[in-house]
Amino acid sequence: MHRNWEALSFSAVFGFFALVSIVVLAGPTLVILILSFTGEESLRFPPASYSLRWYAALADANELHAALWVSLKVAAMTVTACVVMGVSASLAIARSHSRFARLLETLFMSPLILPALAFGFATLMLFSMLGVRASALTLAIGHIVVCVPFVMRTTLASLAQLDPALLDASRSLGASGFHTFRHVTLPLISRGVASGAFIAFMASFDNVPVSLFLQDARTQVLPIYLWDIIQNQLDGRAASACGVIIIATALIMVLMERLAGFSRFVK
Amino acid sequence: MTFQISRRGLLASVAASAGLSVLPRCALAAEELVAATFGGTWANVQKQVLAPYFTKRTSASVVQSPMLATEQIAKLTAAKGGQPPFDVAMLDEGPALEAIDAGLIARYDPAKSPNFAALNAPFKGDYGPAITMQAIGIAYNPKTVKTPPTSWDDLWKPEFKGRVGITSLASTLGLAFLLDVNRLAGGTEADMEPGFAKLKTLLPNLAAVSANFGAHGALFQQGEIDIGVQNFNFAEELKAKGVPIEFVRVNTGTPAWKTTMHVVAGALKPELAYAYVDSQIAPEVQSEMQKSPWNVIPTNSKVPFSGLVAEKIAASPADLDKMVFFDWKTVNQHRAAWTQRFNREIRV
Amino acid sequence: MAGASFSRSREWALALPLAGFFTLFFVAPLGLLISVSFQAERQMTGGLGLGQYGAFVADALNIAVLADTLIVGLKATALCLFFGYPLAWLSTRVSARWQAPLIFLIVLPIVTSVVVRTFAWIIILGRNGMVNDAILALGLSAQPLRLLFSETGVVIVLAQVQMPLMVLPLITTLQRIDPNLESASQALGAGAWRTFFKITLPLSLPGIIAGTILTYTACVTAFVTQSLIGGSRLLYMPMLIFQQAMDLQNWPFAAAVSVIFMASVLVIVGMLVALSRSRAAKLYG
Repeated sequence: MHRNWEALSFSAVFGFFALVSIVVLAGPTLVILILSFTGEESLRFPPASYSLRWYAALADANELHAALWVSLKVAAMTVTACVVMGVSASLAIARSHSRFARLLETLFMSPLILPALAFGFATLMLFSMLGVRASALTLAIGHIVVCVPFVMRTTLASLAQLDPALLDASRSLGASGFHTFRHVTLPLISRGVASGAFIAFMASFDNVPVSLFLQDARTQVLPIYLWDIIQNQLDGRAASACGVIIIATALIMVLMERLAGFSRFVK
Repeated sequence: MTFQISRRGLLASVAASAGLSVLPRCALAAEELVAATFGGTWANVQKQVLAPYFTKRTSASVVQSPMLATEQIAKLTAAKGGQPPFDVAMLDEGPALEAIDAGLIARYDPAKSPNFAALNAPFKGDYGPAITMQAIGIAYNPKTVKTPPTSWDDLWKPEFKGRVGITSLASTLGLAFLLDVNRLAGGTEADMEPGFAKLKTLLPNLAAVSANFGAHGALFQQGEIDIGVQNFNFAEELKAKGVPIEFVRVNTGTPAWKTTMHVVAGALKPELAYAYVDSQIAPEVQSEMQKSPWNVIPTNSKVPFSGLVAEKIAASPADLDKMVFFDWKTVNQHRAAWTQRFNREIRV
Repeated sequence: MAGASFSRSREWALALPLAGFFTLFFVAPLGLLISVSFQAERQMTGGLGLGQYGAFVADALNIAVLADTLIVGLKATALCLFFGYPLAWLSTRVSARWQAPLIFLIVLPIVTSVVVRTFAWIIILGRNGMVNDAILALGLSAQPLRLLFSETGVVIVLAQVQMPLMVLPLITTLQRIDPNLESASQALGAGAWRTFFKITLPLSLPGIIAGTILTYTACVTAFVTQSLIGGSRLLYMPMLIFQQAMDLQNWPFAAAVSVIFMASVLVIVGMLVALSRSRAAKLYG
């Protein structure tokens, strides 16, 4: 009896905190989504009236369209480079146990730990001293450094699960290295790579600390545009712009879950 | 239920995204100008009134980037020698003097700007026209503040503990407020000690210090502050939007300054830039901007003062001379040091 | 044998593009950052020295900003751990049917823009926001609480925004713990709580350390959240760097502040990693 009560108290306490966590985790996003449909001028929750006026106001905001386009462009360039270079590097590192390999791995993963703001500032100084002005390309270069760890993490995880016997079998049957890669390795790691690519894409799309330094008024990215709106003029457009982002992100995530089961690779 | 991404499919999508990235930026897009503006009500009025007029006149579109005058100076300075990040600058008096000294803005050629000649005399700047005057006073929430305030000292009243809002010195709004408080306490543009001493005593009443006046307006809108320093036209726009807010001038004289617009040195699209600035001083645009909810003080002689501008600020340009002005040249020499000191003193 | 080493060197060639890229665009900028921090003058006219670092430590304000940043990170991480651990525990205990939506809810915030998530809290924590409405309705306070523009608000929002970074490594680690160990412990007479503290918690330590490292570094460098929720009166290291670099164009000083910031973060991460290694050594002999 005592044991049952104890187990119950344990589950109750842990369950309660877990529930609070879920509500707090998901709540704010939901609040903004609901708020984006407010018909009022001020952003008060719950809204006094509902309407689509703030979504309609977005159609007018050509700065928003420009920022969205820049963000998509930069994210696409970033992901492409991250996948090509990151998968290659992962292949080299994964099957080696040498210290050099571990060193390379630490190097490539270190952007995850270092303050991205300092790195963004450092990159700005580099470009400025080289006389290179801000553009989508410079943004992409900065993003590639901070996003490639995501691709490598999931790719390395996939490669670790790869049974080396399969590769040996392929080789012993006479296939060249490249052939083995194309027809054996790549299909098996494709879901891991796709998952990493998705996270890298969103990381580039949402990036603020690096973009803050590498962008200017001519190449403004979406998160900074949102930030400007929130800082400079808080009105319903901020909420509806957020609403669009939330819905789009959720949809893409569902898609990625179906196609690549990517939540397995996030842990 | 599992779906294998085929290698071909992965390769194809990667190639597509790479191809997307090199696609030239919307061949359909017309010409585009990038102009700086102030945040909050300025961004709104310029988007709703100036941008359509400009597009109709030039068939070009404009990207308006909200930035404080001080931020614009910083960005132009950083880009000096290269390509400026925007072609049109909008500056307050102090930063405008800095920009001229540093060679960041170009001399304004009246020949390229037909509306320039019609400006009232004091607004015809060598480096760009004054597009408006900004006047500041106290804005308060009439629902929670029962007695209308009459002077800056009202902000210090103990009943407003934790309900007052001011802006940082990065914004001219905050700077002008401190300068006026300083003046009334016996200081000058070279000696800010009385001002800082008074600021220290205001700290307990402060609810928030906004980074810029756009955020400041949001504080009123969201009900975070009940009383504070505010621009005349900003407060009136909020009131027109239904926010409970009232604007009053202080009985010790209304601080005011000119706001000017400039073509940036080395602009990428100087023709469009001139058209944009010229549009801002056109009588049609200025008379539209003077109407509610914008209440922007006009500078073109063809636009007589009317509406709330005439009622609350000045019935005629001669009345503007009665306002409180500051020696911005002297102010500029000390601004950086004051800003650093201000940032320390307001820290919680 | 020759064939194997040849293919090995070909494999290293695969790492070359990224290694080259990182040298150019990661190592070089950081090296530049460090060297600029040794410039004595703001205009970088040539004199070298530790002047910028001296300027940093000489001013008590800067030390306070650094301390505030490191402490706010600590508080937020602790909050994350306290609430995130039960959430991770729940994720491993529910049936498979509930696991997928739960993981979805936990992962969705990571891929949603941080600006979006922080913005929501501006509405929620405001004087007229939901939290204050609830507090006033419940009679917990006569006046609305100042949560926005306060350190408390910053800690709460940081904890929520970064919580997935704590939860996901914990889930991984908890899933790896052999459930037989818990059953054995309970069979031997230990209650649920005792089993947790003696068995589960120590075994999940690697996950705790991993989550703490990721969460802590994210919290201290969270520029957007610190600025939007903290306001102008609360200054932290990221905003200090930004102000010095962009507003005041004082690159050498900003570089010195950046180096000090990075070094502080690395020191703390290093301590955590050392802690995990020593604990692991203790546990597994």
